[in-house]
Amino acid sequence: MSQEFWLFILMVGVFAAGCFALKWPVSVSMLLASVAGALAGGVQDPIRHLVEGTFGYVDTIMTIATAMMFMTGFRDSGALEALTAAVIKKFHKLPGILTVLLTFVIMVPGMITGSSTASVLTSGAVVAPMFMSMGMSAVDSGALISIAAILGMIAPPVNIPAMIIGGGIDMPYVGFELPLILLTFPLAIVFALWFGWRKVKKGDHSAMLSKLDFSTLNKYGGLRLFSPLIFIFVLMILDKAVPRIFSLGMPLIFILGTALTWIAGKRFNILKSAKKSIEDVMPVLGILVGVGMFIQIMTATGVRGFIVVNALSVPPALLYLMIAISIPLFGAISAFGSASVLGVPFMLALLSQDQIIAAAALSLIASLGDFMPPTALAAIFGAQVVGLEKYGGVLKKLIIPGIIIVVYAILFIVFSKQIRAIL
Amino acid sequence: MQKHTITAIICLAGALVASAIAGASFLSMRTPDIIVRGPGVTEVKMLSDWFPGIKGTAGDTEVYVMKGADDGESMLVLGGTHPNEPSGHLSAILLIENAIPKTGTLYVIPRANNSGFTVNDPQEGSPQSYTIQTPSGPRWFRYGSRATNPIDQWPDPNVYIHASSGQTLSGSETRNLNRGYPGRPDGTLTEKVCYGIVQLIKQQNVTITVDLHEASPEYPVINAIVAHPKAMQLASDTVLGLEMQDIKISLEPSPVNLRGLSHRELGDFTDTLPLLMETANASQGRLRGRTDAALVLTGKDKWYVRAAKLGRLYVPYDEKGHPIEERVGRHVTAIGEILNSWNLENPDKPIEIENLPGYEDLQTKGVGAYLLPIPAK
Amino acid sequence: MFFIYLAILAVVLALTVWVLFDTKKLSLQVTAAMVIVPLLLRLLMIK
Repeated sequence: MSQEFWLFILMVGVFAAGCFALKWPVSVSMLLASVAGALAGGVQDPIRHLVEGTFGYVDTIMTIATAMMFMTGFRDSGALEALTAAVIKKFHKLPGILTVLLTFVIMVPGMITGSSTASVLTSGAVVAPMFMSMGMSAVDSGALISIAAILGMIAPPVNIPAMIIGGGIDMPYVGFELPLILLTFPLAIVFALWFGWRKVKKGDHSAMLSKLDFSTLNKYGGLRLFSPLIFIFVLMILDKAVPRIFSLGMPLIFILGTALTWIAGKRFNILKSAKKSIEDVMPVLGILVGVGMFIQIMTATGVRGFIVVNALSVPPALLYLMIAISIPLFGAISAFGSASVLGVPFMLALLSQDQIIAAAALSLIASLGDFMPPTALAAIFGAQVVGLEKYGGVLKKLIIPGIIIVVYAILFIVFSKQIRAIL
Repeated sequence: MQKHTITAIICLAGALVASAIAGASFLSMRTPDIIVRGPGVTEVKMLSDWFPGIKGTAGDTEVYVMKGADDGESMLVLGGTHPNEPSGHLSAILLIENAIPKTGTLYVIPRANNSGFTVNDPQEGSPQSYTIQTPSGPRWFRYGSRATNPIDQWPDPNVYIHASSGQTLSGSETRNLNRGYPGRPDGTLTEKVCYGIVQLIKQQNVTITVDLHEASPEYPVINAIVAHPKAMQLASDTVLGLEMQDIKISLEPSPVNLRGLSHRELGDFTDTLPLLMETANASQGRLRGRTDAALVLTGKDKWYVRAAKLGRLYVPYDEKGHPIEERVGRHVTAIGEILNSWNLENPDKPIEIENLPGYEDLQTKGVGAYLLPIPAK
Repeated sequence: MFFIYLAILAVVLALTVWVLFDTKKLSLQVTAAMVIVPLLLRLLMIK
């Protein structure tokens, strides 16, 4: 066995020991695993490397932190509850269609920004109480929101993993729209019905309606109360539609939206609300920082190369199986990282397929990295917006959908030429 | 004082100490490597002399002007477009320290993306520098980032839109110099640097532009010369000339639909004949093992050897690796061959440059033999 | 835009420091300290 193998075992072992045996937070376990890897691997300048790795996530940290500030503000202003009440009152007679439509709504911020976190923490958080008041359990709601968020991240127009994979082989991000629509929307409908259909129908509407609180909505009016949400959607669309004029970026859009929540509805202490949001999201920010260190040390010590080359070492017949397993697993440290580190080499092994369809399908598989602990951004936030303390329950509900998504994507790769002939 | 306040102070102190140690290391990246003026250098200008819009910014960079005794055509060599591709940077330095133009003018920009030399890419585990032994002692050179330092250009948009074509790429490509051509005078810093290079080419009427790169061994365009349609004849003559010297190099036409690259846009937007060359660099690849200065210099990597056996690479790869002498030798020899090919086709307007290190000499004597001693201050 | 983003980053950093001093959970304090490092170095325009 190579030195890299033992280093990998050491790093994963220290992480697991810290996380599971000693019950340390994921961030701290990651830090210690990275330190152990750096020392055992003889990395020169270890502190520089540990800190440098964290910079891969500075932009992500800002997006997540500001998105969380916005959502907390939106909830504290009373708008979230009021919006749920208004939508349920209007659409409660058509629960099946409503579930599918709301699933599409969750996808929208991810489609526009390319970030599953944006989906979960904005429209996901808005839709969560609607799902639950329609009769879905918190775990089911969290799972459906997580799925919709990663499908939104992959659905066009913006799909960052596909751009990363394309960038690695000099393929411009052109002509991806139709394959990505076919990859994502049918799955979204299937999973919306899977989680929603039966449970939603059984709900007792009169009891549900009587529980709704319309006082905030009546006091401020829908337009004013919901204006922060409309405002950030408009800005996101402008960012995408006329990037040369706007190009504000998500953190700025969320900060502006947060400011608007303060004046749009019920009065609340914006400083305390913002601090609460950072406190809630701190474990996730810490995981990102820890993961950044972990990747940097894996790369510097050669463990990353060990993993990638071993993933590529399988015989051609098993290549698809390896894609199905290794890309989501590597996504445990980041979906975008997996798209780059494994997605690109696999794409190079698939050049004989229709390249756009293959890259689109690989991007869908890479998105599953957002379900994979310890980072599991989509699952963690999915659980958070439905009010669950732990995300394990949501994660279990994601296993079968995850497998379905992988199989669907692999079929797209295997039959890419036939699919291209139809398109 | 409460217990949690004490632990908070301890945690904060830990964060500050880590920041101080790492910060000092990051700041040291701002010290540039030393380039010695060779006998052929007639003037060292700045890119801002052609485009004042970048004066005083981290993007402004040295342009070594090497004017021959006789007037003639001119060549521009870009090294360090991607500061994590060391053979391009080193080859440019070898030209500066050795080449002696007789006819025509050689312009060399050794740090085309100057800002990218002040930082390393996160999560790549790159070394900050590498050292080459020379007869006068060791000399170190900077290993930087593929892209502009975020300190100089931040934040990245979600999606990078190439200004003149509307092509979209992943947002981080906004800081990639070789996706920004022809550049904009009022764009991002990266686009301004591209614009500056275009201004130099236009104002000096540069005949041939060579952009020196390296590629990951798993990347299809490698050990290759990429040419704009109008430089195709020159490139194919060059390939033949290199074949005569037993140097295998493939010829790739510049893809029409991939925008912002030097070999495409410099040909479309200026009168120069643009060429781009790639050598094999393990230290930027995705399959590489341990990443350090030794890997940069030797290219010896057991995972790449294994990947080659699996048929996953686009260059031969064995235990000998791809040492820096080979990669720099390919670039420098190809530049000489480009000039030969040009002069054969254009005997009336030649570019004659002497004293270029030869391929075999570089393999036997090493790159260090062609690096000058650093003059005492 | 650069300085607007630095300002946003400063807000996130300030809130992180506030959390560090406000929380009684040691695990959250250590995590906050980890998050502070990259934010601080970017704010100081070092990295």
